[in-house]
This record gives sequence, structure tokens and C-alpha cells, in this order.
Amino acid sequence: MNRHAQVHLMETVAVLIIFFILIVFGLVFYFRYQQVALKEKSNELLAARAVDTTTRTMFLPELLCTKGAAEPEDNCVDVLKLHYANSTILKYSAEYYFDLFSYANVTVTQIYPEQWSVQLYYQPKPAWKNKEVTFFVVSLRDDTRVTQGTAYGLGYLTVEAYS
Amino acid sequence: MSKRAQVEMAGLVVVVILLTLGMLFLAQFALRDDAAKKIFTRKGLAYSTMSAMMKTTISDPECVAQLRAEIYPQLEKDLLEDCALYADTSPGGYSLYTCGGKHSCIYVRQQLAQFLDQVLWHKNYEFSSRLLRSDHPVELVSIKKNAGCPATRERDASDAFFLNTEAGLVESILYLCE
Repeated sequence: MNRHAQVHLMETVAVLIIFFILIVFGLVFYFRYQQVALKEKSNELLAARAVDTTTRTMFLPELLCTKGAAEPEDNCVDVLKLHYANSTILKYSAEYYFDLFSYANVTVTQIYPEQWSVQLYYQPKPAWKNKEVTFFVVSLRDDTRVTQGTAYGLGYLTVEAYS
Repeated sequence: MSKRAQVEMAGLVVVVILLTLGMLFLAQFALRDDAAKKIFTRKGLAYSTMSAMMKTTISDPECVAQLRAEIYPQLEKDLLEDCALYADTSPGGYSLYTCGGKHSCIYVRQQLAQFLDQVLWHKNYEFSSRLLRSDHPVELVSIKKNAGCPATRERDASDAFFLNTEAGLVESILYLCE
């Protein structure tokens, strides 16, 4: 009888050990999953911030094309404004534009008719680990290019967000 | 004996619960949709590319050499319309604009291909511009990169851009895919 009870006890202990091992496996699996999920979430947030920064740049009054009566044109950058806004943004990047763009690199590049590039804002994060790049194609309106009508060039806006 | 059976039953239940939890996690990964941000960005890129390309003013002096007013043509408003009007005479026949000494349809096709290659180098795309005639549509411009973006692939489109011409309605659309 005593021996029977001992065997029975050993069986129960073995079952409990296996049970706790399974619990530990489950916990390890869950924590690894959480780690990956957190990293993915962090990348998602970085991508969202890059898109936010791009949208803000495209609707910045300092760059946006208008049709005289303050009616804005979508996906359009005024080249005349751009060349003056460049120095203003660089001058006040720490005091004002950092709140809008955070750690980012914003560049406007024209590919037609002439190729040129203007870096609007550059504030990299010290010891950054991730970088998300977003492109948007824009029209570049230059009112000085032709004598009649308005000339639109073609280019793209590049935003690199750092984390 | 009864107690042993109960313990074994409890063990089986635990195993089943753990297996179920594991399968739930796997299902979560398998059924996850593409991030909304990715779709929004690709759709936004398609729309902005179309909008910007169609508004581009062509600066080739040959485009205006034969015209009285020195207004450089825009790609959609002037050149694509000219292509629609004179689609039947392409490639060697008459067109109002002869940028680069070429028929407007040829020039538009080449210029759009160049633009798309320069701004969308990191994506696959399919551009199509059709003249919607009453009898049958006419393909004015068709540009594909790496076999384009067929409907069977995951793709995003710009909205259709319509241009009303004397020859009929011209519909242009750009598809982007990975």
C-alpha cells in the first residue's frame, strides 16, 4: 500500500513537472512574440511619422502653390517660394520646424526640365537605428520660366524619418 | 483507477488548451491584412504621380516652333489631346505638335516612359491612356514595367484622369504594385 502511494505520488509529481515545463514554453513563446510585435509596432509608428511629415511638407504654406486667391494647388511646390523658404527653414529649424518635422531629412528634387535638388530640412537623430524613406511626386511650378502661361516642372519630395 | 483517469484527463485538457492558444497566434499572423499605411502611401503616390506628370510643361522649343503663340504645351491638356485627335495618323503622319520632330503620340509615350522611370524606379507600374470612342476604345499610350500590374496582383491605382477632347473622352490611369 505504501509503495502504491509512493508510485502514485511520483506520477503526480511527473505530471506537474511536465505541466510547468509546458507553461514555461508557452511563456517563452509569448515573450518572443511580444518582442517581435513591439518591433513591428515601432516600425509602423516610424512609417506613420514619415507619412505625416511628408503630408505636412506638401501642405506647408511656405511651399504650396496658390492660385492668387489663396486657393491651394494639390501636389504642387512653388519654386520661387522654395528657394526662399529653404534659408528660412534652415535658420529656424531648431526653434520652430523641429516641432513639425522632428528628426528628418526633407529634400525636393526636380527631374524635368533641369535636374536640381534642394535640402529643405536636415535634423538627423544622434545614433539613429532606423530610417524610413517616403517619396511623393510633385509638380514644381515656376512662374518665371516662360513669358506666357505657367510652367510646371516634375520632381519628387523625399522625406527620411529617423528613430 | 478513477483518480488516475482524472489526472490524465486534466493533462489532456492542458495540452489541448496550449495547442489552441498556439494556433490562435498563428492564425493572427496568417490573416493579418496589409498595413493601412502601405496602401495609403502607394495610392497617394499613384495619384500624385499622375497629377504631377499630366501638368508638366514640356520645354522642348520644337514643340512651339510651328505655332504662333509661344505657349509651351502641357503633357495632358495639349499633347495628349493632340494625340487623341490625330491617333489615326500615328506614327508618321500629321499632328499639331511635333516635339522632337515626332508625332505627338510617340513623343507623349516616350516622355511618360522617361518620367515614370525617373520617379518610380523603386516600384512596378502600369500606365494606360485610352480614347473612349463610341465604337471601340483606342489605346493611346500603354507603359508597363516588369509585365505591369495585372488585376491578379496586389495593386493600387490613381483615380482615373479624364480629358474631354473633340475626338472623345480620354481616360488615363496609373497602377502601382510591388
